[in-house]
Amino acid sequence: MSIMSYNGGAVIAMKGKKCVAIASDLRFGVQAQTVAMDFEKIFHMNDKLCIGLSGLATDIQTVAQRLDFQLKLYELRENRPMTPKTFLSVVSNLLYEKRFGPYFIEPVIAGLHPKTLEPFIASCDLIGCPMEPEDFVVSGTCAIQMYGMCEALWHEDMEPDELFECISQALLNSVDRDCGSGWGAVVHVIEADKVTTRRLKARMD
Amino acid sequence: MTERYSFSLTTFSPSGKLVQIEYALNAVTAGSPSVGIKALNGVVIATEKKHKSILYDEHSIHKIEPITDKIGMVYSGMGPDYRVLLSRARKIAQMYFRQYQESIPTTQLVQRIASVMQEFTQTGGVRPFGVSLLICGWDNNRPYLFQCDPSGAYFAWKATALGKNHLNGKSFLEKRYNEELELEDAVHTAILTLKESFEGQMTEDNIEVGISNADGFHRLTPSEVKDYLASIA
Amino acid sequence: MALADVCRTDSLGQKACFNLKTNSGPSRQNFVQDELNDDAFTIPTAPEAIKYMEHMQDPKSDVHIKFNHGTTTLAFKFRHGVVVATDSRASAGDYIASQTVKKVIEINPYLLGTMAGGAADCSFWERVLAKQCRVYELRNKERISVAAASKLLANMVYNYKGMGLSMGTMICGWDKRGPGLYYVDSEGQRLVGDMFSVGSGATYAYGVLDAGYSYELSVEDALELGQRAIYHATHRDAFSGGNVNLYHMRETGWEHIAWKDVKELHFRYQNEKK
Repeated sequence: MSIMSYNGGAVIAMKGKKCVAIASDLRFGVQAQTVAMDFEKIFHMNDKLCIGLSGLATDIQTVAQRLDFQLKLYELRENRPMTPKTFLSVVSNLLYEKRFGPYFIEPVIAGLHPKTLEPFIASCDLIGCPMEPEDFVVSGTCAIQMYGMCEALWHEDMEPDELFECISQALLNSVDRDCGSGWGAVVHVIEADKVTTRRLKARMD
Repeated sequence: MTERYSFSLTTFSPSGKLVQIEYALNAVTAGSPSVGIKALNGVVIATEKKHKSILYDEHSIHKIEPITDKIGMVYSGMGPDYRVLLSRARKIAQMYFRQYQESIPTTQLVQRIASVMQEFTQTGGVRPFGVSLLICGWDNNRPYLFQCDPSGAYFAWKATALGKNHLNGKSFLEKRYNEELELEDAVHTAILTLKESFEGQMTEDNIEVGISNADGFHRLTPSEVKDYLASIA
Repeated sequence: MALADVCRTDSLGQKACFNLKTNSGPSRQNFVQDELNDDAFTIPTAPEAIKYMEHMQDPKSDVHIKFNHGTTTLAFKFRHGVVVATDSRASAGDYIASQTVKKVIEINPYLLGTMAGGAADCSFWERVLAKQCRVYELRNKERISVAAASKLLANMVYNYKGMGLSMGTMICGWDKRGPGLYYVDSEGQRLVGDMFSVGSGATYAYGVLDAGYSYELSVEDALELGQRAIYHATHRDAFSGGNVNLYHMRETGWEHIAWKDVKELHFRYQNEKK
């Protein structure tokens, strides 16, 4: 069994019209055994920027803490919020630093530019190769299922409510075809003036 | 072995002064003058570049240098020390870009260069830099102008002068400066400020001018400088 | 003997047991002769067939056949019969291939078998078992005992031991001796007992069963216990899930009690806790 699927988990992000959404499941397992159902994999970096991490749970926590540390230092030093694009570069560098002994995680970034409010989504592989698609990004044990759901459901210029529905359906139906993820889900929709967080009722098997 | 004897050369005098830094500032004040002025749509830096011999190839070596495509720098004081800081500044800028994939904001560059200069007042085996820097840049849709001193202190100016006769230069600027200055006028004012204390004929070969605006930083060519000089006279 | 010929019961226990001995020589003509009636399989003609097939069970081998082991099944005896319950998930690695698998095999109105391990192995051999049991009934004018039925199955698969069969099943029934429950697996093991659970979620199910089990349980409580045990297993075990498939074996034969989505059970049990 791959170390990437040792704990299970799924993260997904989507672009909408003047908004982005990011969602994850809540399972923390040890191989087949589900240990906890409240393990959040999405971390708020600033009021318009989130990162979701899937993969090995211990590395998820370490990377989240190191990124938080770097981002806080940056924002204090420069007295301005970090842009999502800059944050992607920080993430990419942090991961490539461990090229020959990587963190076993695949990050997903979602946010709005602090000034222009331009929606931004991106993802990396575990050694920091960045990717900035126009529509959606996924990572986790059911990435393949999520790609399928996103290809079917996603379209341009979704308003926040529609985007929430879309990302929720994509995530829930994907984890329902995956043993390693599920057991509840959480969705964040980031808009210019607010972040809306909702927990989804999901299958618990 | 060597580091055991690497005491800092900059030590306090009984009265609480760091005389090494004062000496460094004396070197700056003795250096050839430079000025910087912020305008609405850009910022200008200019300096005197006099040569001791007519045999000198005056357009091969520059005192005004770019650090990034948006930021430029000039100095008063010791030329060799300036080159060390210049290469450090460029490296700092590139390291920043390498980390963030975003060009370094002027304020960040200034802060980091100032840190380097401060380190040289405390590190063992080194002396403070014999230069003050004028750093100009354009980001966030606005101009920036900073001065960095040998002590590591840095200041944000609307307009200032460094080096020989800097006091006269400053009082000249105080009279001439206003908030609605356009870049073209600022260049004129900068040249006029240099002219205040200039000995002999000012030509495109013995001054340098650099400007930073929305298009980035660039050093004016001798022919551009010549045009400005013609419009003054 | 017409019936015996059709059913090939002339040498019950030898020929009908898919005896390997027929394959010890160049035996292909065996199958060509009578494909309908001869149940023997094509087995590699290598001198040592079992050794030759070892690599199929070696996880490191390229031709290793992976079976779907993720499952939870349980059965327990009590005063009023046998409760049989299973989940309904089929997984292929981490992928959920189906949430609606019927893991209880209805051998005949008085016999049930459960399915864990290779789905094909379980359903095939229990189908063969069904045939054998029917033939037994016709010959003896009475139903086969659970003990005998389970032993037939155990003997059949024992012939293929080491050749990669994967099966962990519980044979449940009701005969003259009352409720019957046997565990049979592809390694040839056959156990009698009051309570079994098989599959990756078995430990979780045992936990619930042990906490709530008594031989004197009412029918209602026993069925509820079986359902709850499967639910808890699906909750904790990643490879179990879908629906609870619930059967009750009684003196009059088995009854299908419920096919219940564990999602609904989860929120029902969740509310009961509050």
